[in-house]
Amino acid sequence: MGQQILNAIFIGSIYALFAVGYTLVFGVLDILNLAHSAVFTLAAAVAYTLVVNHGQSFWVACALGIVIAALMGLVIEYLCLRPLRRRRAPPIAALISTIGLALIIVAAIEQGRPGTLFSWLWVDGANPVTMPPGTFPNPTWNVAGLTLEGAKLAVIPISIVLMLILGYVMRFTQVGRGLRAVAENPRAARLMGIDVDRMISLTLVISSALGGLAGILFGVALGDISPYIGRDSVEVRGLAVIVLGGMGSIPGAVLGGYVLGAIEVLAVVLLGSNVRAGVAFAALFLMLVLRPQGLFGAQLRERL
Amino acid sequence: MRRVRLVSILAAVVVAAACGSTGGGGTPANSYSGKTIKLGAVLSITGAGGVYGPQSRDGMNLAVDEINKAGGVNGAQIHLDVKDDASLQSQSAQVAQTMIQSDQDLALLGPTLSNSAVAVHPLAESLKTPILAVSTTGIHIVPDCNFPKTDPCKFVFRDSLGEETAIPDNIKSYAADAHPATGVLLVAQDDKFSSDGGKIVQATVATYNINLLKVIKFNKAEADLSPYVTQAVAAKPDVIFITSLGGIPAKIMIEARKQGWAGQFLGGNGFNTATVSKNAGAAGQGARSASAWYLGNSFPSNADFVNAFKTAYGHDPDQFAAQGYAGIKIIADAAKRANLTFSDLPGDREKLRAAMETVNIQTPLGPFQFTSTHDVKQTVWIIKMDGNGGFTLVHQIS
Amino acid sequence: MDFLIQLFTDPIAFWSSHTLLISQIGINSILASSLFVVLYSGQLSLAAPGFMAIGAYASVLMDIYWHLPLALAFAAATALAGIVGVVVGLPVLRLRGVFLAIATIGFIEALSLGVILNVPITGEGLGLKNPDADPVSGIYIVLVSTAVIVFLLWRLTKGRLGYAWSAIRQDELAALSQGIDVPRYKLIAFVISAIVAGYAGAAEAHLFFILDPNEYGVPRTVQVLTFAVLGGSGTVLGPVVGALFLTIFPFIFQQAGDYIGVVSGIVLILVIIFRPQGILGRGGFAFVRPRWWPRPPVSAPSTG
Repeated sequence: MGQQILNAIFIGSIYALFAVGYTLVFGVLDILNLAHSAVFTLAAAVAYTLVVNHGQSFWVACALGIVIAALMGLVIEYLCLRPLRRRRAPPIAALISTIGLALIIVAAIEQGRPGTLFSWLWVDGANPVTMPPGTFPNPTWNVAGLTLEGAKLAVIPISIVLMLILGYVMRFTQVGRGLRAVAENPRAARLMGIDVDRMISLTLVISSALGGLAGILFGVALGDISPYIGRDSVEVRGLAVIVLGGMGSIPGAVLGGYVLGAIEVLAVVLLGSNVRAGVAFAALFLMLVLRPQGLFGAQLRERL
Repeated sequence: MRRVRLVSILAAVVVAAACGSTGGGGTPANSYSGKTIKLGAVLSITGAGGVYGPQSRDGMNLAVDEINKAGGVNGAQIHLDVKDDASLQSQSAQVAQTMIQSDQDLALLGPTLSNSAVAVHPLAESLKTPILAVSTTGIHIVPDCNFPKTDPCKFVFRDSLGEETAIPDNIKSYAADAHPATGVLLVAQDDKFSSDGGKIVQATVATYNINLLKVIKFNKAEADLSPYVTQAVAAKPDVIFITSLGGIPAKIMIEARKQGWAGQFLGGNGFNTATVSKNAGAAGQGARSASAWYLGNSFPSNADFVNAFKTAYGHDPDQFAAQGYAGIKIIADAAKRANLTFSDLPGDREKLRAAMETVNIQTPLGPFQFTSTHDVKQTVWIIKMDGNGGFTLVHQIS
Repeated sequence: MDFLIQLFTDPIAFWSSHTLLISQIGINSILASSLFVVLYSGQLSLAAPGFMAIGAYASVLMDIYWHLPLALAFAAATALAGIVGVVVGLPVLRLRGVFLAIATIGFIEALSLGVILNVPITGEGLGLKNPDADPVSGIYIVLVSTAVIVFLLWRLTKGRLGYAWSAIRQDELAALSQGIDVPRYKLIAFVISAIVAGYAGAAEAHLFFILDPNEYGVPRTVQVLTFAVLGGSGTVLGPVVGALFLTIFPFIFQQAGDYIGVVSGIVLILVIIFRPQGILGRGGFAFVRPRWWPRPPVSAPSTG
C-alpha cells in the first residue's frame, strides 16, 4: 500500500503540473487549449532527441525542451488564437484550430525517421523510447519494502515549488494582477491600460512551459517517450483534473491532479485493475452533475 | 455495369503493361514478361503497431527489390504498395478495400495487428482476394477468420507463428529449465493480441504446475503502469507473464526491476523486435519469448537475407522483417506457378490462392509450406533479450 | 489526384471501388447531424460516440443471440440509445458550455472503459465479431438513411421545435422569459441526438466485421466535433459538408503520403481561421452566394 501511495503522489504531481497550464489558459481566455497535450509530448521528444541524437547534456536538453515548449505557447497564440480573436470567431473555433496544431505536432514526431523531413526532431517514428540510463542521475533506494526512485521523487518538490511560485506571481505581483484583470474582464482591463494581447501571450508561454516541463518529467521518470504520451496519458485526464478542481482555478487544478491520481490508484487497489479508467470518468461525470463548481468551489460561470 | 468493368480492367492492363515495360524491360518469353504483379500491404507504420510495421515493410521491400532485380516473376515485375492503417481497425478495413477494389491489387499482405486482422481478413475473404498475414498471431486468424462461424476462410493465409503454438512452447521450455511455482499475468485487456495471449497463458500454466497468483488487467493507453507493477511484484511471483505489445513490455520490465523484483519475464510475440529489447535495456535481460525466427539460424537462405538486409538498411533484421520478406517470396512463388492471365483479375486471384496452398520454398524462416488450415508449421526459437537491444538463442524446438 | 480523376471520369467504377469509403461518409454525416441537433439547441454535448456504442452493440447482440431481423434490431437498438439518452440527458440538463462537454466525455469514457470493457457479453477488449456484416451492399441502407435523417432534421429546424432550439441557443434567459419550456426542449434535442447517433452506430456495426470498443472514445468525439464545427453548425448541411470534406480528405491529398497528418492539421487551421463560422457558415451557402443575392437577417451571436 505504501508503494501505491507513492505511485499516486507521483502521477498526481504530473497531472497537477499539466493541468495547471490547461486551467490557466481557460481561466484567462475561456478557451480549452487542446494543443496543450501536444506541447507536453513535444518537450519530452525534444529533450530526448537533444540527448541521444545531438549529444547534448541532460540538463541542457531539458532546459531547451522547456524553452521550446514556451515558444510553442507563442505559436499557439499567433497561429491558432489571435487570428480567431481578430475575426471575433466563437470560442469553439479555437478548439478546432488547437486540435489542428496538435495534429501537426504529433504527426511531425511520428513521421520522424532517419532520412525524412523531420529527422532533426525525432528519428524513432511511432516507437516509444526511454532516456538512456546514465544520462541523468537516478539513485534508487529500497527502504522498508518501498522503492524510492530519484527521478520520481524529484517530480514532487519540483511540481510543488513551481505551483507555489505561480500562485505567488498570480496573487502578489503586477503581472499576476494584470492576468487576473484580463481573466475577469478583458475590455475593462484594456481600458485600465493593460496590454491584453501581451498578457494573453504571457499566459500561453507560462502554460506551455509548465506543460512541457510536465512532459519531460513524465517521459524521463516513467521511461516512456513517444509521439502519443500526451494524447494517451494526460489529454483527457487533464480535463478531468480541471473539472475536479473547478474550471480556471489554479489551486483547484493542483488539488484535482492529486485527487485524480489517488482515485486511479485506489480504484486499482480496491476495485480491481481493469476498472481504473472507468471509475475516474464516472467520478468526473458525477462530480459535474452534483457539484459543477468543483472541489474548490470556484464560482460557476457560463463559459465557451 | 459489365462493360464498365471490362473497360476499367482493360485500362488497368494497359497501365500495368506500361509500368512493366518502363520498369523491367527484358525479352518477352511468355505471358508474364513485361507485366506487373500488383501487391498491397496494409501495415501499421504509426500508432501502437508502429513498433512492428516498419520492420515488415523493410523486409517486404527488400524481397521485392531482389526479385525484380533478378528478372521478376517469370519476367513480370512486382509492384508493392505499402499503406499505413495508423493501427486503427476501421482505417485498416478502408485501406484494404481501396487496395482490392480501386487499386486492383492481385493479393494483399497484412495487417500488422490482430486487432485489425479481424476486420480486414473477412473483408478480403468476402471480396475473394488472397491475403497473407505476416505478423498476426492471435486466435481465430486462420482458418476461421469469420469466427464464430467455423467454415474455413479460403483466401486467408498466414506465415506468422500463432501464439497458440509460441506461448505454450515458451512456457514449457522455461518450466523444464527452472521449475517455477508461481506466476502473475499482466494483460492489456483492450487489445486482441494481448488478450488472446493472456487466455493462452491462463490455459497453459496448469499443465506445468505453475500457480497463477493473479491476473492483472489494464488498458493499453494507460498513463502509468506502476500501480499494476506494484500489485504484481507484491504477489512475489517466480514469473511475470507479459502478453502486451508496443511500448508496454519494456515499461513493465523497467518498473518491476526498479521495485526490486528479480524473477523471470516470459512473453509473447510482442517481445520479438529490437525496439522492445532496446527500450527494456538491462531490465529486460533474460526475458524469454518464442520467436518464429532467429538472427543466427542456419537455414540456407537466412544468411543471405541477413546480409542483404544489413546492406540495405544498416541494421539487423528482426522477426517481423523476416516474416515480411518471406511473405513476398511466398506470394512470388505462388504467382510464378499460378499461370496468371493478367486480364481476368478475379480468375487470377483464385489461381493465386490455389497456388499458395502448394507453396514449398526455402525462406529465412526455414523450409516453408502452409498447413491444410493455411497456417505455418515451423521451427520455434526460444530467445532471450541480451540487455543491449538484441536477442540470444536459448532453445530450438523443431 | 487519381481519386478525383476517377470520380469525374468514371463515376460508376469509382462507386463500386469505394463503397466502404462512401458508406463511411454516410455514417459520419449521420453522426455529424446528431451533433448538429444538440449544437443547434445551444448544448455542447459530446456524447455521440457513447450512444453510437449502445446502438452498435445492441443491434449486433440482438442479431447474434435473438436472430432478430435487421430492421427490428436496428429499431430496438436505436430506441435503446434514446432511452439511455433520457437517463443521461436529465441530470446534465443544467450544465452548459464546456461543463456539459466534459460531463459527456465522462459519460462516454465511463461507458467504454468501465462498462464495455468489463461486461463479458460485449467481448470486452477483444471487440464483438459481427459475422453478418455486409461491407459491400450495406451502402444502400446507409445512404438512404443519411438522406432521410438529414431531411427530417432540416424539417425539424424549420418547425416549432427548431425555433425554440434557436431561441434557447441565442439566449437561454430570454427564451425562458418568453415562456419557452427550456429544459423540455433541451432534453428533446439531447434525446433526438442520442437516437440519431445510436442509429449511426447500428448502421456502422453492420458494415464492419468487428465492433472495436476503442472506436467509441474521445478521439471519435473530437473527430465528430471537427466535422460539425468545420462544416458550420448553423445549418443542418454544414456538419454533413464537414463530414464529407474530412472523410475524403486523406484520399484527395494522397500525394502527402506519410505527411498527411501534418497537411490535415495545416488545412484544419487555415479553414477555421478563414471560415471561423465553418465552411457553410451561419448563413448556409453564404460563401457561394453572389454579392447581390439578398442576405438573410443577421442573427445574434450564438453561445454554442
